[in-house]
Amino acid sequence: MAPVTLRKLVKRYGALEVVHGIDLEVKDREFIALVGPSGCGKSTTLRMIAGLEDVSGGAIEIGGRAVNDLPPRARNISMVFQSYALYPHMTVAENMGFSLKIAGRSADDIKARVDEAAAILDLGHLLERRPSQLSGGQRQRVAMGRAIVRQPDVFLFDEPLSNLDAKLRTQVRTEIKKLHARMQATMIYVTHDQVEAMTLSDRIVIMRDGHIEQVGTPEEVFQKPKTKFVAGFIGSPPMNMDEAIVDNGQLVFASGVRLPIPPRFAGALRAGQKVTFGLRPDDIYPTGHGLHAGDASAVHEVDLPVTITEPLGNETLVFIQFNGRDWVSRMLNPRPLRSGESVRMSFDLSRAHLFDIDTGKALEG
Amino acid sequence: MKLKKLSAPVLLLLPAFVVLAAVIVVPLLFSFYSSFTPFRLTKPETLWIFVGLRNYITVLSNWDFWVAFGRTVLLLTVALNTEMLLGLGLALLVNKATHGQRLLRTIMMFPMMFSPVLVGFQFKFMFNDNIGFVNNALQSLGLTDRAIPWLIDGNLAMISIIIAEVWSSTAVFAILILAGLLAMPKDPVEAAHVDGCTPWQTFRYVTWPYLMPFAFIAMTIRSLDVARAYDIVKIMTDGGPAKRTELLWTLIGRTAYADARMGMANAMAYVAILLSIVFTVYFFRKLAAARQQIGAEW
Repeated sequence: MAPVTLRKLVKRYGALEVVHGIDLEVKDREFIALVGPSGCGKSTTLRMIAGLEDVSGGAIEIGGRAVNDLPPRARNISMVFQSYALYPHMTVAENMGFSLKIAGRSADDIKARVDEAAAILDLGHLLERRPSQLSGGQRQRVAMGRAIVRQPDVFLFDEPLSNLDAKLRTQVRTEIKKLHARMQATMIYVTHDQVEAMTLSDRIVIMRDGHIEQVGTPEEVFQKPKTKFVAGFIGSPPMNMDEAIVDNGQLVFASGVRLPIPPRFAGALRAGQKVTFGLRPDDIYPTGHGLHAGDASAVHEVDLPVTITEPLGNETLVFIQFNGRDWVSRMLNPRPLRSGESVRMSFDLSRAHLFDIDTGKALEG
Repeated sequence: MKLKKLSAPVLLLLPAFVVLAAVIVVPLLFSFYSSFTPFRLTKPETLWIFVGLRNYITVLSNWDFWVAFGRTVLLLTVALNTEMLLGLGLALLVNKATHGQRLLRTIMMFPMMFSPVLVGFQFKFMFNDNIGFVNNALQSLGLTDRAIPWLIDGNLAMISIIIAEVWSSTAVFAILILAGLLAMPKDPVEAAHVDGCTPWQTFRYVTWPYLMPFAFIAMTIRSLDVARAYDIVKIMTDGGPAKRTELLWTLIGRTAYADARMGMANAMAYVAILLSIVFTVYFFRKLAAARQQIGAEW
């Protein structure tokens, strides 16, 4: 097994630079998710690691060995593609054993490894079928089986769940997590779905426009986003954000509504400073229906009108009018609310985030 | 007023049936019937003498016919395989081109735009032993100081014909295989790279199985084409020298028009058609199997 290191990695297509010199250390046996909106360069980065795209600048090391100029076959990696990329003219068993056949392994050896992988992924009864006779979920499992059989140093996943329906996606996600626990291999996983990234990975790399915005554990990127972009990208529903001006110990929003400056930022702001204020739906709730007590002195209460509610059973998303916009709040132990009803809301300001309005960088409190 | 008793669908289909009958069914039946007569164009009355299977027995026991038959199969085998290899090579090269691919595709199809008769004349000139371009080039390059009798030596004449045939029709393979390459998903090829394949192994195990159906379509089309090869041969050698390039259809054409033995020629033609049918069935079977293999949805 092997660590993967990216140094000042650059990808250019002609004059267009799409990956701008990113640095990343993936530890041995770590599960890393590259996440970001489409066009952020995450797939390109993965494909450079795989050797399917040329590196325009910088270096890639796998297991301490520079692999820039090595073809994919010499990198000892496995890749699971979004489209599965199975060989349609081969049976499931042949698909899974193909890399071993190419490597010149004996038929017995191949069969043993294929059977082992098939047992892990519950594919035993499908081994003689062709990909065209399989469902989407089954194809995905075969693609994973093909990756496992190779026993690579590094597993690469390129949006492997995007072609599956919601229910299957959750199932296969769990299987991938189990697989990581079992294989003890380095895994790099590309997705645009932050839930997948959060649930699967040891660390998340959030990318945007060919740059890395933040690298951190799921808790870190959720609780301490370094930029406004990360704050908005991670978390569902997304963080409520709006611009405000510091005035007289308070934050003044465009419509004139005011919130106290969150206590931990008290010393860090100057009058007239423009900031972006952010607060997650979890940290706004109808008073008495929240999760955390947090710092009770930092909870600010205000009466706000309800626009609409989205009951989810165990909780209800309540949309409230604040500063002329709909802000989302999360109501635990929900009680029925009517649209237009004025409700006393608690804002847990100890968990508020402030970002510089120009750079988008998080302000330290 | 009897027409009124026919129902509307029958009435509407009638013109199509009449036309088909007039231009296809009747001539077909007529030619089939004439293959059982000693019909000669110069003696119309012979059309009415029925001789049963005599023409067929004569044809099947005629050594010249079987030689022409065998030579046609040889031409078919050599030309088709050569065209396939060259076409595949061309398609792979054009597929790699990053710029001007459309232009290359158009240029590649140029030979197909020439009439086979003109191709025959052109190659007849090029392979001429005295004034031909090929000998001139070979001598200028110092590769030989002899005048090679391209169209005069029997074996060389066959090779010359094959070259002309290959030149004019390699594009059929190239275009169809290129279509296959363009339609092919890229992911399995990338998966093969990651799985450890060398470029050759990728081609052998992944790309080629995808292209096979396209190659077989080209094979089917071209086998029908070559099995009725006539024009290029007629122009370049007219079956000569000493019948060393005689093919089925030059033999049939000679029998029908030069010798005016239409009944006999029709018997030969019906035997020759069997050849085409056998090849078509063979390639269609291969095509169906190859399509099934890649799970094609067309």
